[in-house]
Amino acid sequence: MPTVTIDNQAFAAEVDETILQVAARNGVWIPTLCYHAALEPYASCRLCMVEIDRGGWWQMVTACNYPVRRDVTVRVESERAIRARRGVMRLLLARAPESPELRALASRLGVTQTDFPTVTEAEGNCILCGLCVRACEERIGTAAISLTGRGVERKVSAPFGEPSEECILCGSCAAVCPVGTIRLEVHGDEWELVPFGKKGPAQRCAACGAVLTAELVREALARRGPAAVQGILAGEELCARCKRKKLVGQLLAAGGSGAPSAPSER
Amino acid sequence: MSQPQLGPPPTCQSPEHTCGVSVVHEIIERYGGNPEMLIPMMQDIQAAEGYLPREHLRTLGRELGVPLSRIYGVATFYAAFRLQPKGKHTITLCMGTVCYLKGADQISAVIQDEFQVKPGGTSPDRKFTFAPVNCLGACALAPVMVVDGEYFGGLSASSAVDILQKIASSKKPSEAVAKADAKQKTAAQKNGRGSQNP
Repeated sequence: MPTVTIDNQAFAAEVDETILQVAARNGVWIPTLCYHAALEPYASCRLCMVEIDRGGWWQMVTACNYPVRRDVTVRVESERAIRARRGVMRLLLARAPESPELRALASRLGVTQTDFPTVTEAEGNCILCGLCVRACEERIGTAAISLTGRGVERKVSAPFGEPSEECILCGSCAAVCPVGTIRLEVHGDEWELVPFGKKGPAQRCAACGAVLTAELVREALARRGPAAVQGILAGEELCARCKRKKLVGQLLAAGGSGAPSAPSER
Repeated sequence: MSQPQLGPPPTCQSPEHTCGVSVVHEIIERYGGNPEMLIPMMQDIQAAEGYLPREHLRTLGRELGVPLSRIYGVATFYAAFRLQPKGKHTITLCMGTVCYLKGADQISAVIQDEFQVKPGGTSPDRKFTFAPVNCLGACALAPVMVVDGEYFGGLSASSAVDILQKIASSKKPSEAVAKADAKQKTAAQKNGRGSQNP
């Protein structure tokens, strides 16, 4: 079992664990932006750079996708590693200067401003980390959006720059967006995924009218899910509270002295 | 950037341009349906159609099991792929320093206005594809444009539009503009064409 020594502290690690996983498991903080535990490492943001001992020289590597194969000595808090991460953060900050999430992370790294020319809100406020694209493809299996264009024109977009036909408004991209640029906005009964422009109706509880999810999510589940899920979805659409009420009602109706008394409604 | 909506090309009767679906199938067959051959397939589609029609890309993605979003990513990554059909004629307008000083930006504005075409795009009537370029290396002719390989120098905003309208209304561009062109060519030759490769 290899040992990973991080800033003079030795930790046991499994082969093929990443430096980031070992660090996180042992409470050592390495900043990340494009990393998500549920997705494959991508190493596009370069914010998790650390130094490793190569015997006589120290190599800068991205902790999120560096696999541990044998004993490795890592420096997270060395001057060079800190300088590298701050430099990356200043570049990222220029791409999404209005993001409160990014500003908070920046100040944690000791970066309060950027000397690089900043882009405006109209140009995206996007750091091109690809989390949204990967969540959509790897986890949801929809692949509605992708990184398009090249160089300064690179951006996340649905095919042909139009609202995606495949998008089911699940909001996963909005949930993983580390700079808060992608948002699932609710306008009454219509949901809109900003900035991709996809719109669709909300699905409501058949009994009380509470919003459950987007209609498209339910349709996708019914289409792609296992048979058991499809059966459940084919039934009545109720929110959790109404389901409970209905069940209690059924139990009471079934009667008998053994029936539980109705629980007080939350 | 929103491109102007284009109707189907004149030869196609289907609004979604589904006429070429068999073309896509044939191309997929050519590569044994191997998704790793996506780029060669896209190149073949473009060779067959002159651009990458949306419906072709949809069919390609569906048949190969490759998400349309990834195909779109590839199509926009490589400059060699075009998502807009090419017009009947290609206008290459020089935006180099000398042409710029002699009013190339005004010529560009007039062309865009007159033919409803954006830089890199195609006019709605599919007559012209407009491609401003950084330099044609023909500074002596400034401001200069090239239409279907033919040079037109010493332009003004109005003469450029005149030439293009003559080309648009005729079957053979070179014949139609021969007269108007002759005068300019002589003038250009007088100015010396030796500086074409500065």
